[in-house]
Formats: sequence, structure tokens, C-alpha cells
Amino acid sequence: MLGLLGVALLVLSACGSDTELERLAMPKPVTVEGESTLELWQGAWIAALVTGVIVWGLIFYAIIKFRRRSDDEVPIQTRYNLPLEIFYTIFPIIMVIVFFSHTIRVQNIVLNDEDVVPDQTVYVVGQQWSWTFNYPEAVDGKNVYEAGDGAVNPIPTLVLPVGQTTRFELRSPDVIHDFGVPGFLIKMDVIPGQENYFQVTPKVEGTYAGKCYELCGVYHSRMLFNVDIVSPEEYEQYLQDQYDAGFFTDTPVCGGQYARTQVAKDDEDAVIEEACQ
Amino acid sequence: MTTTAPPPSSTSVPEPRKPLGRQLVTILTTTDHKLIGKLYLGTSFAWFLIAGLMAMLIRSELAFPGSQIVNDELYNQLFTMHGTIMLLLFATPLFFGFANVIMPLQIGSPDVAFPRLNMFSYWLFLFGGLIAGSGFLTPAGAADFGWFAYTPLSDAVRSPGVGGDLWIMGLWLAGLGTILGAVNFITTIICMRAPGMTMFRMPMFVWNTLITSLLVLIAFPVLAGALLSLEADRQFGAHVFDTAHGGAILWQHLFWFFGHPEVYIIALPFFGIVTEILPVFSRKPIFGYVGLVGATLGIAILSVAVWAHHMFVTGAVNLPFFSGMTFLIAVPTGVKFFNWIGTMWGGSISFDTPMLWSIGFLTTFLFGGLTGVILASPPLDFAISDSYFVVAHFHYVVFGTVVFAMFAGFYFWWPKMTGRMLDERLGKVHFWLLFVGFHTTFLVQHWLGVEGMPRRYADYLESDGWAGLNQISTIGAFLLGASTLPFLYNVYVSRRAPLVEVDDPWGWGRSLEWATSCPPPRHNFHSIPRIRSESPAFDLHHPEVAAIELDDNTAARDGRFADAPDMDGRDTLLKERLETETDAGEGDETR
Repeated sequence: MLGLLGVALLVLSACGSDTELERLAMPKPVTVEGESTLELWQGAWIAALVTGVIVWGLIFYAIIKFRRRSDDEVPIQTRYNLPLEIFYTIFPIIMVIVFFSHTIRVQNIVLNDEDVVPDQTVYVVGQQWSWTFNYPEAVDGKNVYEAGDGAVNPIPTLVLPVGQTTRFELRSPDVIHDFGVPGFLIKMDVIPGQENYFQVTPKVEGTYAGKCYELCGVYHSRMLFNVDIVSPEEYEQYLQDQYDAGFFTDTPVCGGQYARTQVAKDDEDAVIEEACQ
Repeated sequence: MTTTAPPPSSTSVPEPRKPLGRQLVTILTTTDHKLIGKLYLGTSFAWFLIAGLMAMLIRSELAFPGSQIVNDELYNQLFTMHGTIMLLLFATPLFFGFANVIMPLQIGSPDVAFPRLNMFSYWLFLFGGLIAGSGFLTPAGAADFGWFAYTPLSDAVRSPGVGGDLWIMGLWLAGLGTILGAVNFITTIICMRAPGMTMFRMPMFVWNTLITSLLVLIAFPVLAGALLSLEADRQFGAHVFDTAHGGAILWQHLFWFFGHPEVYIIALPFFGIVTEILPVFSRKPIFGYVGLVGATLGIAILSVAVWAHHMFVTGAVNLPFFSGMTFLIAVPTGVKFFNWIGTMWGGSISFDTPMLWSIGFLTTFLFGGLTGVILASPPLDFAISDSYFVVAHFHYVVFGTVVFAMFAGFYFWWPKMTGRMLDERLGKVHFWLLFVGFHTTFLVQHWLGVEGMPRRYADYLESDGWAGLNQISTIGAFLLGASTLPFLYNVYVSRRAPLVEVDDPWGWGRSLEWATSCPPPRHNFHSIPRIRSESPAFDLHHPEVAAIELDDNTAARDGRFADAPDMDGRDTLLKERLETETDAGEGDETR
């Protein structure tokens, strides 16, 4: 019984991830890192549902089996059962330790920012209420960008090359936003005054919808974007097109009302960052 | 047996109805914990109805893509005030209502320790709530930055409306009432227990009231400080939460250091209510009494060390620590479940309304607990954080606990509070409507969230493909809303229900409130029976069954090591009572 989760993982290896039901509603992961999250998700749910079915089973068995049959029943007045009590205290602790170890394992995979060197970095700026995607030193040493704008370009597009590791540097000039794409199976807050980052390795080409996941004001639900995962050649072409269209600066910029203000790339650029705030 | 003489019958004679002015004066000047408790219960239930109507507006808006009912501004105000009201103006004061009405009765006290402070706490809650809610009457509307008011969105630049200031200061005022109320309960429980009511003879609801009040003292002062600092930022140009020095994360730490214990502040008392009800309708004592006290303490202690699991996606917290501590909360919670099941196991279970609601709580809350463990795993939280999965999870937890146990408590203690029973048939209609409505509303939201629907979205795209599940959820919400009607009707007709003539209308009541009249006299007891166990009323009404119980639990009877309450001297007491009964040649008069 020790490895209820172990059993769960065994069952899991037999079950696929092709249908939405097998993935338990989770979108199909479009990144390499997302696959580990999906496996943990499936394993955790199997363990949770086994636990749930046992406890629900005990509840319903009790209320049916021990329902009152006559008005003058006096059942046995048991108050305690020490061995049983020790068992139901220790056993959940073991389950928790097993789940904790799997959690740490997967967490190290999805947050591995030391072992895997990113092929490129994208500065993602969330501002009320759209996104700006910066590709620093992309063409001719210049920063290429696409800025979302409520009127002209309400849903900007982030373009990523398939099979390469991209690091997102998350910056906000105003309030907290959250950069999330369901298919990535990971999201992270975009916080003013804090430099967050994570990285993904897309593995499936296609267009995916991304959204802001942290309440950021009136038009929070309008803060959408698209992600195009394309071949490396198309990616280079996209950068060149943006450059040719004039969407380039020296360093990453904010969009919206902060358009063309520069974003700090690291701590030494703190002076520039103040301009962005 | 002089101490067990029945109370004079004068209290059960219905008094002529007082004119409205006299009733108002009574309410304004009372220091009676029972009346103050009823004021708390009534006021918080009114907030429950108001915030419930807001929820139905929210669900109506989400039934179709596009904006139909409310615009984005009003939508944000609605979910902000829905959350604020449900947590701070409904669930928290509801605890004060139940604890005020029931706790002094259960420990055999004539009132709380500071009756005037008690009334003052109520007024702080009432006016604090009215101030926070009055934002809707201002030109810019009520607060719209979400109930956790993350800075810098809630600062003077991004949320300039006076609704935000009313929200901050109203909650601060109401929170002061909460702190003072907790001081009152702790003092009452420590100092005012009747002779014989040792700590380990206290009913579980009293234990939970004590532990919850301690949590209030830990959590609410932090909220008060954070709110005043935020107001200083807004009005006086202070820079406490300036993003230049990490103010955005500072607010989150302060808020959730309050916010997570708050979740247990509104959960533990309702666990207590269910723990009172299960033994009565299973005809068995609570299983694993000391273990249950320990589990409650364990949950309370862990609850102040898990706050940053709300902040996994900020990238600013130690993930393994907060994840591990959160997982550990599953252990004492699991222990509680097995205590509850153990209480029912082998019992004689009836399905009177209080029991029905308690079983509804068990089945609903269990699922919220399971999804909670899943959310406590950071890699999984990264995927589903801030989505409808979270919304579904905390409604299972909070609604499953607070609302199910509230109605369980209402049906259970209604005769004790009013002297009249609620109608059982209407109660069952109420339960099934609410049960089906609740699960229809919230079960599908898990699926929506995992597919990626963010919380707090006023709108979604047709291409997102979420309309179908949202419509199911909206239909469920209206069923859920409609379920309140049979309850309100039940309350209305109950005013003509026959008076309860006995101390214990349920027949197998265990704790001390069932040893006084329904409703109790002004100072609660004309006489208090001798207390030699956690079930003094049961020992009084059913000494023969209590004697069997002693023989069924020999280790506890003989004072050896056992997971049972303090029963020192119980066998002598029961022997005396049984002999007196035999001598007098009379049966059990309560049967």
C-alpha cells in the first residue's frame, strides 16, 4: 500500500495522453517541460481519486449499512481504536511524502534554468492592457518587437521557434499581470519591481491562445495574445519582417501608453527601468 | 439529584409580543449573548443573500461570450464585493453568531466574559460592513481590485475611486470587531466554564471556537496593519507598498499571512458544528476525541505556515517549504474525516435535516480537500493557478464547509434558539435543491479552469469554446439561488410551529445546551447538572446508555491510556442516577 502513487504511476504508463479525457482536461502540452507536468497531473489525480473513492465509499457504506432500523436502537458505543487511529495518521503522512518527492522532481524539470542554456531570450512586457514582445539583439544587433495596442493591434502575437529553448524575461511597468499559455502548462506573474523568468522548449508547431491570468484592472479579460510556434527559418524571417517594418529599437521597450520606453534588462539598467515605471 | 431539578415552567410560557419600539430598544441595548448571536446570524445571513445575488449576476454575464448584463467595470466590482462579503461579512461573523449563541450554553456559562464588548464588536462589524458595501453608492462604484487587493493595482493611481477607501476602512473597522470578539471568546472559555467542565470535557464546538479565536488574534492584526498602511499609501502618499522596493510582494505576504489562517478561521468552527451533530444522529459518542482536538490544533498551527502557496506563481517564495507544509495539512484533515466516519461507523444513523446537511458537508468538502492537495504542488499550480480550477476548488472548500454546516447548525439549533422546530420536509427539499445546484455550478468549473479559463474574466472569446460548460454552471447557480426560497419560507412558517416543550427535542443530545430549556432563560440555566464527561446532557437524560458506554470503553472508564475525554467520576455519577431512578420507580422521563 506504500506506493499508492507508485501504483498510480504504473497505471499511468499504461494510459496515454491523446484524448482530453486521458489528460483529465489538461491541454495537450506543446512544450518539452509540459510533458512532465502532465504526467504528474495524471498521477496526482489517480492517487486523489483512489483516496476519494475510498473515503466516499466509507461514508456511503456507513450511512447505508448503519441506518436506523428501529427507534429504540442502542449501538455499541465505541469511542476509540488506537491501532486504527495510528494507521490513519501515519498512512497519509507516507502518501504526502511520496507525492512531495514527485513534486520536487517535476518542479526541477519545469524550472531548470541552470542546466539548459536558452537559445534565445524574449522580453515579455505586460502593461495595462496588452503585451509587448521584445527579441533583443535579433537583427543587426537591434531589438525587434511587437507591441499590443488596444486600438491598432489588440491581440499581439508572440513568435517562437520550435525545438529551441526560449527564456522569457517578464517585466511590468504598471501593475501585476500573469503571462500564461494553457498549452505551456506553466504561467508566471509579471510583477513591477521584480524580474521573473522561466523557459520553455516548444515541440509542436501551431497557433495557441495566451492570456493574462492575474487581475490587472478594468480590461483584464481583454489582455490576450497569440503564440505562433514556427520552424527556425520562419522565425528568422518573422524577425527580419518586423525589422523591415520598422519595429526595432536599441533595447527592449514597453508598449501601450509606455510605448517606446526602454525596459531594464538587468539590475545595472535600473535607471532605465525607472523610466519605464 | 437536586442539581438536576427541572427548570420552572415560567420560561416556556409564550410571552405576549412586544411592540416594535420596545423590541428595537431591546436590540439596541442588549448585552445578552444569545440575542447578540442572533443579530450576528441575521446580519451575516443578509450579507449572504446580497453576495449570492451578486454571484447570480456574475454567472448571468458569463453564460454567453460578449457583454450582456454588466460592463467590465461593474463586473470587477461585483466579484470583488462578492468575495469580500462572503469571506469577511458572511462567513467570519457567522462564526461569531454561532459561537455567541451556543458556546456559553455548552460550557455552562451565564454569558460571555465581556457582554458590553460583545455588543460593541457587533456594532463594529455592522458599521464596518455597511461602510465597505457603501462603495456601490459612490460615483466610481465599489472597490474593484479583487478581494485580495493586490498592490499596485489597489493604489491611488490605479484605483482612485473612494470605493477603495471605503473598502479598506470598512474592513479595518469590521476586523477590529473580529479581534475584540475573539478576545471575548478566549476569555470566556478559559475563565467561565461551569464547575466540572474541564478542558477535556469541552464539546468539540467549544474547542474549535477557542482555537479559531486564537487564529483570529494571529491573523487579523496583520490585516489591520496592512490595510492601514495601504490607506496611508493612498491618502498620505506613504510608500509602504511602492514597487521600487518590492512593495508588490510585501502586500501579498502580509495579505496572505492573514488570508490563509482566515480560511481556517471560517472552516474550523463549521467543522465543530458538524462534529456536534454527527454523534447525536448516529447515537454514538464522538470517535477519537483527543485525536480530534489534536488534529484541530495541528491544522491551526500548520495554517500559519502555508500562506505563500497562494504565491507560487510570483516566483518570490520558497516552493518546497510552502508546498510541503501545505501537503501536511492533509494529514490532520484526513484524521478528522476518519473521526467523523468512525463516529458514524456501527451507529444508528437517522437522516434528520441536520444530519443530511452534515453528510452533504462531508461529501462536498472531501473533493475540495483533494483538489487542494493537487493545487499545493507547485508544478501543477503553475498550470492551473488563477484559473477557474482554483475558483471551483475554494468554493468546494468554503461553500462545502461554511454553507452546508451553517444550514446543519440552523436546523440543529433552531429549537434551541427560537423554541420552535423548522419543518423537516421543507428542510429536505432545501437540501436537495442546494446540493444539486451547488455541484452543477462548481463541478464543471474544474474542467473550465484546466482548459485555461482565467478567473476574474468578464468575458471570453467564442473561439475559446467555454460557452457550454459556463451555461451548465449558470443554470446550476440559479438552482442554487432558488434553493434559498424554501429555507426562507421554512423560517417564515416556523414562527407558528408548536413550541418545543423539552430540553432536548432530538432525543440524543449530548452537550450542555440540551440540558436547559428551548430557548434558555436569560442567564441560561436554572441549575446545571453535574459534569463528569463531555456529554453532561446525555448523562442526565440517558444514564443507562451512558453506563453501557462506559462498559464499552473500559480503558477510558478505568482511567488508563485512551483517546477519550476526561471521564473522571462519571461512573459514580451514573450509578447514583440509576439508583435514584430505580428507587423512585420511575423511567427515563425524557423518552
